[in-house]
Amino acid sequence: MRVFAAVLWKDLLTEWRSRDRVVAMAVFAVLVVVTLYLAAPPGPVAAARTHLSGLLWVTIVFAAVLGLGRAFALELENEALSGLALAPADRGWIFLGKATASFLLLGVVQVLASAVFALAFDVDLRPIALPYGLVAALGGLGLCSIGTLFSAMAVRTSYREVLLPILMLPLMVPVLLGAVHATAALLEDGNLPAGPLRLLVVSDVVYLIVSFLGFESVLDE
Amino acid sequence: MTARNPATAPAHPGWHRATGLALAACTLVWAVLVWNAPLDSVQGVVQKILYVHPPCAFAAYLGFFVTAAAGALYLWQGDPRWDRLALSSAEVGVLFCTLMLLTGPIWAKATWGRWWSWDLRLTLTLLLYLIYIAYLLLRSFTEGSERTARFASVYGIAGAAIIPLNYFAIDMAGGRSIHPENLQRGSLGAGMAAPFAMAAVTVIVAYFALLFRRMEVADLREALARREAEAADARGEATSWDT
Repeated sequence: MRVFAAVLWKDLLTEWRSRDRVVAMAVFAVLVVVTLYLAAPPGPVAAARTHLSGLLWVTIVFAAVLGLGRAFALELENEALSGLALAPADRGWIFLGKATASFLLLGVVQVLASAVFALAFDVDLRPIALPYGLVAALGGLGLCSIGTLFSAMAVRTSYREVLLPILMLPLMVPVLLGAVHATAALLEDGNLPAGPLRLLVVSDVVYLIVSFLGFESVLDE
Repeated sequence: MTARNPATAPAHPGWHRATGLALAACTLVWAVLVWNAPLDSVQGVVQKILYVHPPCAFAAYLGFFVTAAAGALYLWQGDPRWDRLALSSAEVGVLFCTLMLLTGPIWAKATWGRWWSWDLRLTLTLLLYLIYIAYLLLRSFTEGSERTARFASVYGIAGAAIIPLNYFAIDMAGGRSIHPENLQRGSLGAGMAAPFAMAAVTVIVAYFALLFRRMEVADLREALARREAEAADARGEATSWDT
């Protein structure tokens, strides 16, 4: 547990001092929103409303992949990753510390990206802020759990920036579909449907268990 | 008669011969049965893809299941032979999955009127295919045989664990299956059950025949790498197991 707190504190402190990951993710998310808006077919924005939740989550997934790609990049310097692996503690706690840090950073980017998205596509998210926050948190948890596991692998490979999305995206489908359908229902009538919510929760639990156990085999000494 | 090179001779020649002969015999029987199978009154000759397409799916899913199971056994026991089985099975599984994804659209165009549909089983299989392509890419981009084995095992298990979730996700998203359900209802046309069963047996035998040969290649590569490392050691050169 102390290892979890130490890794989380270390990651957040490093990010607070440099702010490079959050800034890169946020700028990228805004760019994706702008690109999606410009790429939308001409005509009233209302015509594209049925796809809004999908576009919003594509933005979040892309930003998450970008940020997760950097989650272990710093640990490569001075073989810090080996130091982490040699720490006399269950590696699952190291995973939880890294994943929680990424989850919190992604949360900041999600707030910003959602606000920019709402402005660009003229969507009022305020009435559904709480349930949308829950969906965003569950989606972010799924992305950051398995994303942290794959990031620890990808960072030790050549083509690491290319490999992470290739590893992550096919396994992100349950979280993506759950989040998109829950958000679409919220935008439609403000109600949070049980099906997508259940899918999100079950996916998060499966991802967390697989990642917690799998992380043991992913760190090199 | 030339002496066989022990370095390149199959380690299990009996298995090679048995699976090779079984595959040849099965293929012959399969070809005769398919040739004589009755033509479907509605779909015509294109229906005979039934004797290729679903059996390839069986072999593909078997291949992916074996990959995940062998990966789990590798992580548990640390025996590199499990990793070589996982790699071989993934490659053979991807081969059969490719065949399935190539033959399916031919049938789909003739019966559904379009090459592709985001049908539940199609989407699920496509995702699984992409997961195992990613598995092979992960292996080729990772240096060090032990590290590659660990990473690939974890990814193979994660890929298999996600199959039921993907199923529910796509089902929830409205990707209802429009695949024929004949097999579930046991309503294959008269004279079609025997060639279909033979096709399934033939493809499974083909899976094992290819798997044994691919494992042989993996074993030989491992032996070669070990010999090169030993030779370099003998010359006093610095070597790493990560080569």
